[in-house]
Amino acid sequence: MSMNSKAASAIVLFLVVLASCAVRKSEPVKGTYFQPKNSTVARGEQLYMIHCQKCHPGGEAGLGPAINANPAPQFLKRFQVRHGLGVMPSFKPEEISRADLHAISKYMKQWKHY
Amino acid sequence: MLHRLLFAMVVLATMVLHTGCYRIKKSAGGGQRTQLGERRYAAGDILLPPGYGAQLVASGLNYPTAVSFDAAGNLYCIESGYSYGEDFTTPRLLRLKAGGQTTVIATGDKNGPWTGIDFHEGKFYVAEGGVLEGGRIVEIDPSGTIRPLISNLPSFGDHHTNGPVVRDGQLYFSIGTATNSGVVGADNANYGWLKRKPTFHDIACRDIILSGQNFNTTNVLTEAPADVAITGAFMPYGTGTNKGQVVRGQVPCSGAILRMPLKGGAPQLVAWGLRNPFGLAFAPNGKLYTTENAFDERGSRPVWGAGDVLWEVQQGLWYGWPDFSAGKPIASDEEFNPKKGGQNLRPILQEYPNQPPKPAAIFGVHSSANGFDFSRGTAFGFEGQAFVALFGDMAPEVGKVWSPVGFKVVRVAVATGVIRDFAVNKGKRNGPASWLNNGGLERPVAVKFDPTGTSLYIVDFGKMHTDATGSHPQKASGAIWKIYKK
Ligand code: HEC
Repeated sequence: MSMNSKAASAIVLFLVVLASCAVRKSEPVKGTYFQPKNSTVARGEQLYMIHCQKCHPGGEAGLGPAINANPAPQFLKRFQVRHGLGVMPSFKPEEISRADLHAISKYMKQWKHY
Repeated sequence: MLHRLLFAMVVLATMVLHTGCYRIKKSAGGGQRTQLGERRYAAGDILLPPGYGAQLVASGLNYPTAVSFDAAGNLYCIESGYSYGEDFTTPRLLRLKAGGQTTVIATGDKNGPWTGIDFHEGKFYVAEGGVLEGGRIVEIDPSGTIRPLISNLPSFGDHHTNGPVVRDGQLYFSIGTATNSGVVGADNANYGWLKRKPTFHDIACRDIILSGQNFNTTNVLTEAPADVAITGAFMPYGTGTNKGQVVRGQVPCSGAILRMPLKGGAPQLVAWGLRNPFGLAFAPNGKLYTTENAFDERGSRPVWGAGDVLWEVQQGLWYGWPDFSAGKPIASDEEFNPKKGGQNLRPILQEYPNQPPKPAAIFGVHSSANGFDFSRGTAFGFEGQAFVALFGDMAPEVGKVWSPVGFKVVRVAVATGVIRDFAVNKGKRNGPASWLNNGGLERPVAVKFDPTGTSLYIVDFGKMHTDATGSHPQKASGAIWKIYKK
């Protein structure tokens, strides 16, 4: 295989994985309970409930798209929250402080790997 | 190296691709995907957290909306007698026996929907929605005799008379608003009631001062295509308002929780400014809670992005409708401005009765958070948590969604606002069973613990398809499920 076709198949594989990735994530679906591993994650979950849950319930799609399977690094997701690309509202530091946004990130990360 | 670069580019591209999709994407709600036709029932298709099991108790019911238990622990349910989509059937109180048999206890008038039931000292109390004759709270004795406790409640509109729950000699009930966000418009003709009740509108509970905003629509009550109706908030269709105009408050009113002595007497205001406070329940600590169905992106004043809410109800407070969503002001905010039409929302009220409180929890936009109950102890687990039935979206009429919202039962830790799924359907995606091709939940509309607090009963309204022409409910597709601890 040439380098290019290897890269192409990597992309195809990646897209397939993305499409079939475990978008659904919840206690009944996983069959185990979610335990925040520290107080930051616990706080992050509470903040997620206040600011994000209504459009991305449990990280699954709802009004907005699913974000559970999104492989983007957390800093890009924080960028999305601050700048609200597309129709998603942006959240300025007065609404979600830097520390709070990091807590949300930490929660999303544990939730994603739960 | 090339791999990595390409990988990063694809990641970025998928983010960028998704963000921007919303506007061009077609709505893909659960009602839109619901398949009408024969319903399958399979308790095994309902996923639960470890340690819980599900069982089918009754099936083939006509739009069931709530269950209750008598003093001996026997199970009863009510059939609504009306569904969105303007389907009128007969409201009924049924006794459900083991093995799925039913006995009719009482039959109501053509004035549904019966939305809720409570049992207290030998009698049933039922909220009659009242789309034709006005809302009522009726008392039903075990022989089936129906006696109204209060009638003529103003619930001819989008939302109805809900509740009731009896506590300390008082009967609590609620009345939803006539409209989505204060203004009668073409959407209310689509719902079916505006042509029936052309002068009906929202009623304020206390005096309010209007900002005087008016909205134009093609007059849906006349045939002439050029005829325009100019309508202000809290007014009949076609009546405008002025800045500073005062609307006098009165009780009963729209978008409120009321209570009245069980022995009879005038209703008193408990709380107001709630769009459709559908569920009412007392927590084990004695506090009253309600679920509020929040704004839709429809009508003359569409609101986007409004999540349904669980509120702790405090005496006398105003909860923000029609200018707040879950305690946040909706005016001039990208979080709430409608995405079609590009309207910038402005306040309806010139002054606010009070600053709305903070919600106990915020559910999915359009999830339709309805009947709920609290776990009372270790018999079931999750003591003190609220179990909430999410009926599921009615897109596209209520607005556009990316994917089905609701169609499940969640649990809420009310002190922290954390929501976790409790009963969901098996499948690659979340949504109604008929879409997922299985026999699980269709539209959970209420939940109730049995008197011992051991089992949770889920009332499943049945199938309802929704499309651009409105709601298409399917008779005889409702069910009652029981969730038990293994
Ligand atoms: C009012 C609804 C709403 C709220 C609240 C909201 N989002 Fe979003 N979000 C959206 C929509 C809609 C999109 C897609 C944007 C588009 O296509 O225009 C999106 C996109 C995203 C994306 C990019 C997804 C992708 O695959 O490209 C991420 C990540 C995200 N949101 C995270 C969050 C987080 C974290 C929060 C809470 C801080 C949040 N969102 C709050 C509606 C919302």
